[in-house]
Amino acid sequence: MDVPYYPTHEFGPLMKGLIIGGIGIVHVFLAQFAIGGGLLMCYFQWLAGSRGSQLARQFVDGYFKVLVLISFVVGAVTGVGLWLTSIQISPRTIGIMVDEFHWVWATEWTFFCLEIVAGYSFYRYSRILNDRNRLFLLATYSAAAWFSLFWINGILSWQLTPGEWVAERNVWAGFFNPSFLPSLIFRTVTSMVIAALVACIVINLIPDLSRSQREKLIAKAGHFTAPMVLMPLLGIWYMASIPADSRQWIMGGSVAMTMFFALGIGCSLLIGGYALFSLLRGGLYINVATATLLCLLGFLATAGGEFVREGVRKPYTIRTVLYSNSVTPDELAYLRRVGSVTNDPYPLLSSDEIPTDQLQLGAKVFRFQCSVCHTVQGANGLTHLTGTWTPMQLRLNVAQLQRTKPFMPPFAGTPEELEALAQWIEWHNSGSMDDWSAADSGASLTQIASWLDEVGTRPGIDLMNEPRVSGGAQ
Amino acid sequence: METPFPFGFPLPTGFYLTLYVATWVIHAAFMNYVLAGSAYLGAAIVIQGKSVETNPLASLLRDWLPFMLSAAITAGIAPLLFVQILYEDSFYTANQLLFHRWMAILPTLMLGFYLLYLLKAKFIAKRSLKLRIAIGISAFLCFAFVAWSWTENHLLSLQPQSVWVEQYASGVFRYRDSQLISRLSLWFASSFPTMATVLAWQLMTQKPTDLEKGQPGTRRTAALAMCGLVASGAAAGIYLNSLDSSVSKSLFSALGFPYLMLASLGLVIQLLCWISIYARSKLDKISLAIASTGLCCTLTGFSVSREVIRISTIDWQNRLSAHESAFRVGGFALFLTSAVVCGGLIFYVIRLVRKNLTESSASHG
Ligand code: HEC
Ligand code: HEM
Repeated sequence: MDVPYYPTHEFGPLMKGLIIGGIGIVHVFLAQFAIGGGLLMCYFQWLAGSRGSQLARQFVDGYFKVLVLISFVVGAVTGVGLWLTSIQISPRTIGIMVDEFHWVWATEWTFFCLEIVAGYSFYRYSRILNDRNRLFLLATYSAAAWFSLFWINGILSWQLTPGEWVAERNVWAGFFNPSFLPSLIFRTVTSMVIAALVACIVINLIPDLSRSQREKLIAKAGHFTAPMVLMPLLGIWYMASIPADSRQWIMGGSVAMTMFFALGIGCSLLIGGYALFSLLRGGLYINVATATLLCLLGFLATAGGEFVREGVRKPYTIRTVLYSNSVTPDELAYLRRVGSVTNDPYPLLSSDEIPTDQLQLGAKVFRFQCSVCHTVQGANGLTHLTGTWTPMQLRLNVAQLQRTKPFMPPFAGTPEELEALAQWIEWHNSGSMDDWSAADSGASLTQIASWLDEVGTRPGIDLMNEPRVSGGAQ
Repeated sequence: METPFPFGFPLPTGFYLTLYVATWVIHAAFMNYVLAGSAYLGAAIVIQGKSVETNPLASLLRDWLPFMLSAAITAGIAPLLFVQILYEDSFYTANQLLFHRWMAILPTLMLGFYLLYLLKAKFIAKRSLKLRIAIGISAFLCFAFVAWSWTENHLLSLQPQSVWVEQYASGVFRYRDSQLISRLSLWFASSFPTMATVLAWQLMTQKPTDLEKGQPGTRRTAALAMCGLVASGAAAGIYLNSLDSSVSKSLFSALGFPYLMLASLGLVIQLLCWISIYARSKLDKISLAIASTGLCCTLTGFSVSREVIRISTIDWQNRLSAHESAFRVGGFALFLTSAVVCGGLIFYVIRLVRKNLTESSASHG
């Protein structure tokens, strides 16, 4: 079996998931702004054309400038950035996705091309176009932007809910997967809300408008927050479509996931509440500070949502196909026999600082199996997590990693590697001394081997409902 | 090596190679405009100072560079997709080895983007010349950095695992390669003829003030193209000379030779056209169309030769089965359909805008 190895780097104290999450959030927020913005401008352009509103026309031109300057630049580059970051963090994940969905991506690309041509044409030449042609360009632009969401949404939702694809391996079974529709509609609604919030900022910033003109525009833009009433329903639909274990991480099974989820809901409620409040009050005026604050809340809601989306896939990056640490289930059983880093050609970068061969082996095992989700002393740091454990507990809990927390993959190495990893963690816990004589843990390699065998190589999410019959040391 | 590219490969491999080359050529065309355009614009501001305002090439570039950059980035996505199918592990490994240094292209691209917009902005035009010089040069440096990074990444991706391991162990995020300078020089030099050709077409759409004299900026454009052509010929020679003998052998075998010839033929055609344009100091559609055909030949020839060099450098036999399984995945019909639909719409949008432009200039003029 040919397990590929890549020269991974660590991101200092930051967990890798945070990096990809961070870039992802900025990108998703801007992309949604672009999509919703397109729809919103179609609406205003339609008002301009059918009602002859010069005001609406003026707004469309101002808004589009913001869109081109922000979304066409930062949005486009962070999109490429997300791709390159995924390569840094998990080349195998992106590799499988490309192999499986390259035609969907290539299709999305044709829509990108249409999007920038229609968008720039409007940006440069809207002044010389009549209302009908302006609307045509905007509609083309928005349709292209929305379709890029349509395509990418199929791929991203497949990662969590591959559905029938697992058995059929048919690209369309994967694309139109169980969470495809709820997340597509959810994202469309989010896009509309974000566009409305940005619109309120832009309306405040357009020079030479009277207060009543601003009020009129804000009232119209406010219509785009109306679909928010669907959000609770869409949320429930989405939750129903994802696997039970992922749902459990959100509902308290994983503290971090639950927090991010609460962040998303809380911020959305605040925005929705404000929109409802102003609707009831009527004739509302949002000043630039409030509008910016609401936008910030929108950003935080996106942040919560994206972290949850990235996080609930654990222990997989592609459900049932690839574990988060880039080991496939088949390879896992194989690596238990031959060792997870036996064939890793890349040396340790910090080997001078690590005194013994055994500790160096442990460091390599950590790099290969754990470093996607853990750091040593930073975010989700192992020292912090295991500091109070006895040596026996540490070994048992790592040997049965999928039982310790079902959102971790099973341990994928030999008992020797596990012992080395445990020693390495203990070495860190006791201050990374210059000399280290292997600590006696009381657990022999045979003991570790029996723990490993006992739990097997099945993922923890399959074991969740089975009672723990442990060899002893908890 | 007995059959011209891409016919000697198994169907899936040849198919993805063709798509890769075809989409890379599109990326290269826009990227060339950005690279050479920002270089020329920066130089023009330095050399001409305030009178750069009267340089028609500089005005066009300032106006169009942001869009062309968008187009270069968007066009880059398609080859980025196919390069992963073709050379998955080498591309990923090079990316990872260069790490921060590689990821730095992203903030650099954003910076370059905004600098281009600044150059366009009216309030900057009113500021001091020094500021404009600084912005112009920095924008070029951003794109030069990106070009250098792609070249460095490419060269690293061609190396065997032993070099990768050494590179990783060194802990350095920069890869030094003896071919880097010559290869990058080739990309830089060959970007000028492309930019000149596009600029010439753009000049043609503007109405000349004096019909007798023809388009202002014609000779300058031709001179840029001619210098670029001569320099790319020279750079290509130096680069070819630095290649391993086994690699040159496949370049000169049936696999690559037709494309080397195509590239050279394209260079000659372009050179002749530009000499004639320069001598007459007049742009005409026919010469320009012939020069553009020559340009297409050269771009295609260079791109295929670039691929032949890669194929004969790396050991990719184990990738062929991956190409085959990727080939079996559905969706190609969807891609073709969307390419036709979106391509048609793009064509229609451009036509619509052009029609409105002529109408509005007719009603104003
Ligand atoms: C898919 C990502 C992922 C991988 C891979 C992973 N972990 Fe974890 N691990 C987590 C998360 C998330 C937590 C929960 C942290 C918390 O509760 O605050 C966790 C918790 C832990 C804990 C504390 C458990 C407890 O009961 O408090 C230990 C110990 C641990 N991991 C060790 C490891 C080791 C060793 C590896 C590599 C062999 C590893 N993990 C691989 C995600 C992962
Ligand atoms: C102005 C910005 C850019 C410049 C100047 C530029 C320049 C270059 C150059 C010189 C090469 C050739 C490298 C070589 O073969 O030695 C190249 C290749 C490539 N570029 Fe760009 N590029 C730019 C932006 C982008 C972006 C944003 C993307 C991605 C979306 C991209 C995608 C690619 C791809 C996929 C290749 C082929 C890589 C390979 O086969 O190894 N480029 N680019």
